[in-house]
Amino acid sequence: MSRMKFEISNLNLHYGNTRALKDVTIDLPGNSVTAFIGPSGCGKSTFLRCLNRMNDFIPRCRVEGRVLLDGTDIYAPGTDVITLRRRVGMVFQKPNPFPTSIFDNVAYGPRLHGTTDRESLERIVQQSLEGAALWDEVRDKLNTPALSLSGGQQQRLCIARAIAVQPEVLLMDEPTSALDPMSTARIEELVRELKTKYTVIIVTHNMQQAARISDLTAFFLLGEMVEAGPTQDIFTSPADRRTEDYITGRFG
Amino acid sequence: MRGRILKDRVATALLWGCMAAVLSILAGILLFLIVRGAGALSWEFLTQPPRDSMTKGGILTPLVGTIQLVAVAMAFAFPVGVLTAVYLNEYAGEDRFTRLLRLAIRSLAGVPSVVFGLFGLSFFVIFLRFGSSLLSAGLTLGCLALPVIVGASEAALKAVPQDYRDASYAMGATRWQTIRKVVLPAAFPAILTGGILSVGRVAGETAPIIFTGAAFFAPEIAKSLFSQVMALPYHVLILATAGTNIEETRGIQYGTILVLLLVVLGITLAGVLWRARLRMRSSR
Repeated sequence: MSRMKFEISNLNLHYGNTRALKDVTIDLPGNSVTAFIGPSGCGKSTFLRCLNRMNDFIPRCRVEGRVLLDGTDIYAPGTDVITLRRRVGMVFQKPNPFPTSIFDNVAYGPRLHGTTDRESLERIVQQSLEGAALWDEVRDKLNTPALSLSGGQQQRLCIARAIAVQPEVLLMDEPTSALDPMSTARIEELVRELKTKYTVIIVTHNMQQAARISDLTAFFLLGEMVEAGPTQDIFTSPADRRTEDYITGRFG
Repeated sequence: MRGRILKDRVATALLWGCMAAVLSILAGILLFLIVRGAGALSWEFLTQPPRDSMTKGGILTPLVGTIQLVAVAMAFAFPVGVLTAVYLNEYAGEDRFTRLLRLAIRSLAGVPSVVFGLFGLSFFVIFLRFGSSLLSAGLTLGCLALPVIVGASEAALKAVPQDYRDASYAMGATRWQTIRKVVLPAAFPAILTGGILSVGRVAGETAPIIFTGAAFFAPEIAKSLFSQVMALPYHVLILATAGTNIEETRGIQYGTILVLLLVVLGITLAGVLWRARLRMRSSR
């Protein structure tokens, strides 16, 4: 574990008059996997989307507080959101490849940011697909539609697409909830590899998953960040009664 | 129990009956036109201009005129309509103003076509000084097609999953990049459907072009945007109501309508094939 990638203090988020996040304060270290757990509607996904400002699109959504990425506040006026999202990539709950070819999916980001020559694109596409453990399965059919892949392959394609712009952080919003156990296992294995290069922050419903793949775990409840710490500590000796109730399956 | 099954059978029969009625009306029209008009069709009919006060010869001039009118109308209405829909769906929020705007566009689709003709006359012909011309008539027809294209395009854009937009934004795309590279390509097959439908409407219109650019008779094919043009529907109207010898030209009238129908079907078919190709490339 290295120094802190994200330092978040007193983050509040309102949807209209509803306060969805309450004074969240947490530091997230670089080159590690942090898992956010908690019951549905606890704010963990909302919090995740604060980290690359994807909540900007939601009308009447207001964010207060400080989110430092490498020491710079990403909510400061004049922040370049485009650059931010390039540095902080995202993988969504449902695999969402574009209805184009496998190649064009992965090349989408690099093209956006100005890479046009075929040779560089081919190199980036191969590296990204290798990074997402998909290259061997698709190397001979890069021009076939992405939607012809299986759900698990599509999700790994989305990971390849996200890492093709060489982000520093990868946000994953329940990336395996729509997948079967085999595909889930492959993605989990991949996440463990990804942390050598990226800072991975993953939201999950599945506590075993959090225990298997994360270094740090944060527990959210009703918009509050109840407890955060090394995954092992959270699962073996939680400090807060509510955390204990949740991980022992008393609710959620 | 028995009542339920009986009702199911009655409903099935009723639905089937409605479908059959619609189909037979269509088939009836087509059959009627083929029986009456097929006799007039010949190579000469399609490749010769009318002669002898339009009682003999072919329909080359109005045939080409109609195609030119459709081309001008679409060249104007398709891009403008699609971009309007992009504005409405992607940029404008949901407020009083945009609701009013949508209502206005929907109402426009219900305005009688002769009103478009009068608008075209006062705006394109007189105010913009385009005169009675291919350009004025084509633009007037384009106005007629606009609401159809805007409506279909907006529905098509709405059907593009939010997931695609999220994925694009999350990689640092701007709104315009997202629209141009993700949203429009995904919506394009459905947008094309709107375009195809409006071609049919535009090609068959008479009222909007009478005041704006259709010629009673033109000796040759329009060579400039500012020439008058003949058009198939107007040609039929003239032959059937103001010709020198109405009875004698019945065959030509039916033949002309049949050709108009074939032109519209041809354009529709081309659009459908194009759309099928696009769809094949994107999925499965």
